[in-house]
Amino acid sequence: MRAFLDNLRLALGTFLGNPLRSLLTLLGIVIGVATVITMMGLIEGLRMKVNKDLGRMGAHTFQVTKWPAGGFGRINWAKFAKRQDIEMDDVRAIEESCPSVGVVVPVDDEGGQKVATASNETRPSVRVFGTPTNYPATSGLTVASGRYFNEVEALDGRQVVVLGTDVADALFPGMDPVNHEVRIKGRPFRVIGVLQRRGSMLGMFSMDNQVMMPLRVFQQLYGKNRSLDVDVMAREPELFQKAQDEVTTLLRRRRDVPANMPNDFEIHTNESVTASFNQLSVVITIAGIGVCLLSLVVGGIGILNIMLVSVMERTREIGVRKALGAKRRRILGQFATEAVLLALMGGAMGVGLGFGLVFLADWVLRFPMYVPPWAVALALVMSCGVGLLFGIYPAARAARLDPVEAMRAD
Amino acid sequence: MSDGSSAGKLIEVEDITRVFHVGGEEVRALRGVSFGISRGEWVAIIGQSGSGKSTLMNVLGCLDTPSSGRYTLNGKDVSRMSDDELAVIRNEEIGFIFQTFQLLPRETALANVELPLVYRGLPARERRERAKAALEKVQLAHRMHHRPNELSGGQRQRVAIARALVAQPSMLLADEPTGNLDSATGEEIVRLFEELHRAGNTLVLVTHEPKLAARCPRAIRLSDGQVVADGPGREVALGIGAAVMAAGGT
Repeated sequence: MRAFLDNLRLALGTFLGNPLRSLLTLLGIVIGVATVITMMGLIEGLRMKVNKDLGRMGAHTFQVTKWPAGGFGRINWAKFAKRQDIEMDDVRAIEESCPSVGVVVPVDDEGGQKVATASNETRPSVRVFGTPTNYPATSGLTVASGRYFNEVEALDGRQVVVLGTDVADALFPGMDPVNHEVRIKGRPFRVIGVLQRRGSMLGMFSMDNQVMMPLRVFQQLYGKNRSLDVDVMAREPELFQKAQDEVTTLLRRRRDVPANMPNDFEIHTNESVTASFNQLSVVITIAGIGVCLLSLVVGGIGILNIMLVSVMERTREIGVRKALGAKRRRILGQFATEAVLLALMGGAMGVGLGFGLVFLADWVLRFPMYVPPWAVALALVMSCGVGLLFGIYPAARAARLDPVEAMRAD
Repeated sequence: MSDGSSAGKLIEVEDITRVFHVGGEEVRALRGVSFGISRGEWVAIIGQSGSGKSTLMNVLGCLDTPSSGRYTLNGKDVSRMSDDELAVIRNEEIGFIFQTFQLLPRETALANVELPLVYRGLPARERRERAKAALEKVQLAHRMHHRPNELSGGQRQRVAIARALVAQPSMLLADEPTGNLDSATGEEIVRLFEELHRAGNTLVLVTHEPKLAARCPRAIRLSDGQVVADGPGREVALGIGAAVMAAGGT
């Protein structure tokens, strides 16, 4: 223990004696650890956000779709393409013949759309949604100014839209777009509202780059031969499973699925969404740890380098220490401690930098991030391991030096 | 310390050889050296460069082991010890004083003097107390918080002497201790050695300077890896008297 404290003091002295060199050496580890911290912060933040959003959607809501949720592994899209579309008739059938079902919300969307005014236009990246009037209530969207479309507009198929903030900002910079006209696919639409800003996912995919319109209008614009995504809410939370069963039975009958075949449609519950999200986050986590390991190896080579230099520079000192009675293990310990401390400092700086980035992302991108404590612990433990792994060889070299030879060095 | 009995000498060297292999060639640096040194003696080992005195000094200092022969230090046969065992012996039995001082440049005088005690495993407080006392003995207590580069050559060598004394070894082994000092400062150091000798320390001084050897009560002259003279310092240094061995030389 006393020997350890002495070693620690010596190691600290080395670091402070040459702070710039030490810092540069540590850059690899700093960056590696910062990466892993930021990555973990992102994933955890995302997870919390997803859970919150799902919570808002309601525990007793499930979604019926033609396509499976983008999970992992290979998806044979061609196989799913042969499935029958889910259409308005199916929606009406669910509403009419499933007693446990409360609200049914059919939604369709099309990405890569361009929205224009006489003087401005957006990039062709806007996602256009066709929804019923009750969509805000069931999805958690909020209208910031103006209003959502009403039943009359929906039934009449009026050409009205509610803009996401990105679209509003692009087309109507510094003014209120309500009651102005925009064009989508050459057709005029009256803006009746602007949505509350929602921020972006992963800081890259804006959730405000969208336009909402009545489903009927959407279908006139993009055609009816499309499959709907249907959000289904059970009448009571207790009826959740029953509602799922009713909808499943109904759709199987309507789509003539033989009894021995699996569903030819998908039912997503909060759990299934959470599960596929968790799958995603595992993949990102593994990728993150891979990146981290790679930069830790780079950092480790830095440590190896600096320790070899350090041993060379201090050959004489090592000789003196050995002459005065330091055993091999003691010299080994001294330099190994130095390497580990160096790596640990790099790790700590990396954690600091990572937290900095996380807070920056939080502030600039308004994306909530959360760094789990285990990520910090893991990062620090890995740094220590790297220090030990790459520091042991130079330390062993130092320990083996012959004192007479070493004291002759300069 | 010494009980005065002649039961055993502090240092007993019996027919030591040391052979180096340099590029396929055999270099016989020591060719059968024998002598003994008692507690409290002050002995100079003198010789030209290449005489083998540095090799002998390394063996005596347990920094190297002989190729054959026997070296007993303070009753322990150290001639076949391992690296780590020798480290313990060096720490406990030997106080080194080097020509180039060999102080750690980044540490203060006090920390330098503490070093042997660090490797003996003493607690920090005791280390500090004993290091301070050792520095007082060489009249450097007022400079103990200075680093070596803030000290004069003579002061550095005194720090080194304090470091050699601090662990109370059974012998002080000095290698050309005045070699890097001007004559006045060198004289100071020699006076300090005289004092240490009077206080009962065993001193072994390796030098090539006859003048320095002449001031030691006893000197051993080495030539070509063999002892060619052993006797009173003045006689050996000047090459006179009965000390010169008939059998010695080439």
